Amino acid sequence: MDKLEFYQRLAEILDVEEVKPESVLKEFDVWDSLAILSVLAMTDAKYGVSVKAEEIRSVVTAEDLARLVETKQK
Amino acid sequence: MKCIFKNKRISSIVAVAPSQEFRFDDEYQYFKMTEPQAKRFKKIMGLDRHRIAPPDVCASDLCLYGVQQLLDAGVLKKEEISAVLFISQTPDYILPPTSNVIHGKLGLGHDVICLDINQGCAGYLAGLQLAFMLLELPAVSKVLLLTGDTGSKQMTRENRINYPINGDAGAATVVERSADEKTIFMDVKNDGSRYKALIIPGGAYRMPSSPETLKLREVEEGVVKCLEHVDMDGAAVFNFTMDDIPPQIEAVLAYSGETRDSIAHFFLHQPNPFIVTQMTQKMKIPPAKVPNNVVSLYGNCSSTTIPLNIALNCREPMLAETRRVCLSGFGVGLTWISAVMDLGPLDFCKIVDYKPA
Repeated sequence: MDKLEFYQRLAEILDVEEVKPESVLKEFDVWDSLAILSVLAMTDAKYGVSVKAEEIRSVVTAEDLARLVETKQK
Repeated sequence: MKCIFKNKRISSIVAVAPSQEFRFDDEYQYFKMTEPQAKRFKKIMGLDRHRIAPPDVCASDLCLYGVQQLLDAGVLKKEEISAVLFISQTPDYILPPTSNVIHGKLGLGHDVICLDINQGCAGYLAGLQLAFMLLELPAVSKVLLLTGDTGSKQMTRENRINYPINGDAGAATVVERSADEKTIFMDVKNDGSRYKALIIPGGAYRMPSSPETLKLREVEEGVVKCLEHVDMDGAAVFNFTMDDIPPQIEAVLAYSGETRDSIAHFFLHQPNPFIVTQMTQKMKIPPAKVPNNVVSLYGNCSSTTIPLNIALNCREPMLAETRRVCLSGFGVGLTWISAVMDLGPLDFCKIVDYKPA
């Protein structure tokens, strides 16, 4: 998985210029149920991975999320 | 569970929407949204307007209004009705069954089956399945399948998750025997272990109505509700729609010997335009075959999105000819049912606004 591309996709959902690996998801203004839904849709459509609702709630940073998606792809 | 039926058809569809239309742009103030938040929400979810019934209008009123259209048009006679099925989560009363109330208001004879079914977004398919089963009985000639919900009564307007996508509506569908032997293929699935994904926890008998169940709380920003209001785990429901429905639709296509190409229309339940778009992409179905405008124009009206969809988008062709279609309903329960069948030519197919005399 191209992590830079993944962070770029996250940035689009979160409506910011850049998402860094260490960025804490909850600290983004628009990290709400709609953003979570958009992330679930993005991981399904672009990476063929079904991230569960409870999994995404336990993720802290953008890198955690990238790792979760990567693990699920294997 | 796979099932097949023969010699049965849908002969008429009428969908009834309350005439009161509300626009998201006028309502987002109630959801505590700023203008940029509202714009983002509207764009991602594909919202525009919806229909909401006045407080004194029940789902059964919308359904009965639809039945009256069919009687007035002469495509249905009272004495032909052998069964009244009322599929809803907003009945008139806890008891008696609303189907009996409707039976009485229509003035039907005693030799009629009346059944209420507590179903939501899979309700149209659950009702069709039961109608097809009833039509196996020689005594049954026409089944009146009524779907209707006034979901707006199960939430506050100050609820940004549920209210903007909700729509109230009802529909009457007539199901009867046909000489056509083209097989109807269905797949029915349930998973009660996920019953909490969509639930109204209070107000029945597990948690009886009390001042506590009626107490309104702001559970998160822009979401005011009590325990007698609908509670949805949006992410779990999204997982459900993406993980369970596409494989079922693919399985029922294979079972029926059809393909994405040979099916003319996929009439999916529409929770919101966002989910339907994601599902369509995932299944690699051409978007033109998957009409996806019910929620933007009327709101998510539970078991009525499918008949409303047919009448909204395919009225002319469905009155004129036969098309092979795929129907899929999925939601509360969790229940998911998909079917491949012929539809049309219908005797009647229309959307009307509820305007009682």
